[in-house]
Amino acid sequence: MRVIVILGRVLDPSGIVVKGKAGRIFVNREEYVLQPADRCALEAALRIKDAALAGLRPSQDVEVVALPRGPLPDDDVLRQALATGADRAVYLVGQVANLPYTDDAAAVRVLAAAVERLGGADLILAGATTMDTGQGQLGPRLAEALGWPQVVGAWHVAAADGRVQAVCQSSPLLVGEEGGGTSYVTVEADLPAVVTVLPGVLKLRYPDGARLINVYRGVGEVAEGLEQWDVADLVDMESLKPLLERRGQDFPPERERGVRIDGTPEEMARVVADALRQHVGR
Amino acid sequence: MDFTFSSEHVALRRMIREFAETEVAPLAAEIDREGRVPFETLKKLGEIGLLGVCFPQKYGGMGAGETGYCILMEELARVCTSTSTNVGAHIGIGAMSIYLDGTEEQKQKYLVPLARGEKFAAFVLTEADAGSDAAAIRTRAVREGDSWIIDGTKTFNTNGSFADIVTVLAVTDPTLGARGGITAFIVESNMPGFKVGTHENKMGIRGSSTAELIFDGVRVSHENVLGKVGEGFVSFMKTLDLGRLTLGAAGLGGAQAALDWSIRWAKTRKQFGQELAHKQSVQWMIANMAMEIEALRSLVYRVAWMVDTGQPFTQLAAMVKLYGSEVGSRAIDTALQIHGGLGYSRDFPIERGFRDARISEIFEGTNEIQRIVIASNIFRQHGVRIRP
Repeated sequence: MRVIVILGRVLDPSGIVVKGKAGRIFVNREEYVLQPADRCALEAALRIKDAALAGLRPSQDVEVVALPRGPLPDDDVLRQALATGADRAVYLVGQVANLPYTDDAAAVRVLAAAVERLGGADLILAGATTMDTGQGQLGPRLAEALGWPQVVGAWHVAAADGRVQAVCQSSPLLVGEEGGGTSYVTVEADLPAVVTVLPGVLKLRYPDGARLINVYRGVGEVAEGLEQWDVADLVDMESLKPLLERRGQDFPPERERGVRIDGTPEEMARVVADALRQHVGR
Repeated sequence: MDFTFSSEHVALRRMIREFAETEVAPLAAEIDREGRVPFETLKKLGEIGLLGVCFPQKYGGMGAGETGYCILMEELARVCTSTSTNVGAHIGIGAMSIYLDGTEEQKQKYLVPLARGEKFAAFVLTEADAGSDAAAIRTRAVREGDSWIIDGTKTFNTNGSFADIVTVLAVTDPTLGARGGITAFIVESNMPGFKVGTHENKMGIRGSSTAELIFDGVRVSHENVLGKVGEGFVSFMKTLDLGRLTLGAAGLGGAQAALDWSIRWAKTRKQFGQELAHKQSVQWMIANMAMEIEALRSLVYRVAWMVDTGQPFTQLAAMVKLYGSEVGSRAIDTALQIHGGLGYSRDFPIERGFRDARISEIFEGTNEIQRIVIASNIFRQHGVRIRP
């Protein structure tokens, strides 16, 4: 069974400051990390491999292959995937340089061609959203391009015997719930399928130390898992014209200062209740 | 000249920093308060290969060299000096002594499980009457056929209370002294006669264990002699040379943390209508800290590079330990001053950092000993032999 996981990078948020008033993002330290949702997708892929290795279903040999989400200036995220346990990774060079505003429509054309050249796959996992541009189109678009079923926004993923099971947060409409409360549903689909994974639930394991050193040093079996393909060999470059055009940037309004409330608990509760009433009335 | 880290060391630092912030930092205050060794952290460090960071992969290590080991010590000490102390005693002197002088059989038998973190090591040298004067040890090892019988009491053994494998120094020929009369042995803690004595109640690094070890007629096979009979003192000093470098790296991590806390505080704390960052007195403190830290960083990684490229480094390793511990102490002292009353409070990590930093000027060769080592080397180059 081949599980493809799609990985992208994002500026480390601890190294940037967003100043709405100045209309600027200040980059104090330019370091990149794996997209948080893609981290969870990678962990989901590795857990499917673990389950197979643990002999739960010995007939299935799982191969985890990492592909880049869009154009990348280096192969760092792919090496991270290999160090963490992926078997293969393909670095796609020569993509349109429209970083960091990747165009998912163009990216999907490249990915669909890469999947075909890999000889297909049983399951494709990707993060459900990107942290910087807030896009969640890549998974659904890729599923459409391949003509595969899709599950969007999974928290846990398991795959075996030609089917994928994904645990998703249920929509209140779907199960007829009243008010709050969270419930979960397990969604099943036939393989091959595309599943997008939400950030925050699956904690990505640490890389294995020796694997990490070997893959970055470019020695040994692990490093051999890193391949490099030219995008021009996969698709007609003319077809990669981005659909997305960046016209400017806008910032959310500055947060207003809070108000300190003093008094007895009853008095304070009254002030809070009045404020809430006013807020709802607005 | 190239001062950039290789891509594998950049990736290694990222991995270690994430581990340190996720797994080590949340426990730092707790293990200090409770005075307990964070075995759960040590186990996780072992599982991902970090307890063998500097050893070759054929011995179960990661193969990241001395540079990788310094990165580990710097990043661990940045969040928890107790954890870096446990790790330093395990890798840097305990396992390292076997790596440097062990036979191939000893490395397979002892170093491999240590590098994988399946077993823990301690380096056992100090005695009640032999601290800085390490050659004055009295622990005896007497040969009986194919075995040696070890008798004596060792003090201040980091990891001593839980180590599975210890390397210990004993007198094998009292007529010969340090050169020829002292031998190193590998002892397993389950050998009859090996006992853990009293535990030290320490000022700082309270999440590390420092215990007395009693060797009451411990019988080890001749195969457990580490290095050659009579050459144990030289062998142990060689291990300590390397240990000194990584202590400097730990000092670097502690100093960096002190600077980071100070910057954060100076950005938010207002007095006389302005953040402390705008006060020249505080600016000077921050500038001095940052300057010393950068000088230390250059020294630490230059010496690590010298070790990895097989150059002589003894003299500089003594300087790294000396300078690293003093920069660490000065940085945390300055940080405490910037934080004022809050820095003195146990609710804030500065107070713990202050207690933790002080030991670095003492252990693994006091700073006075380092100065003697440095001066002796300098005078030797000018034809003067300094006698201890």
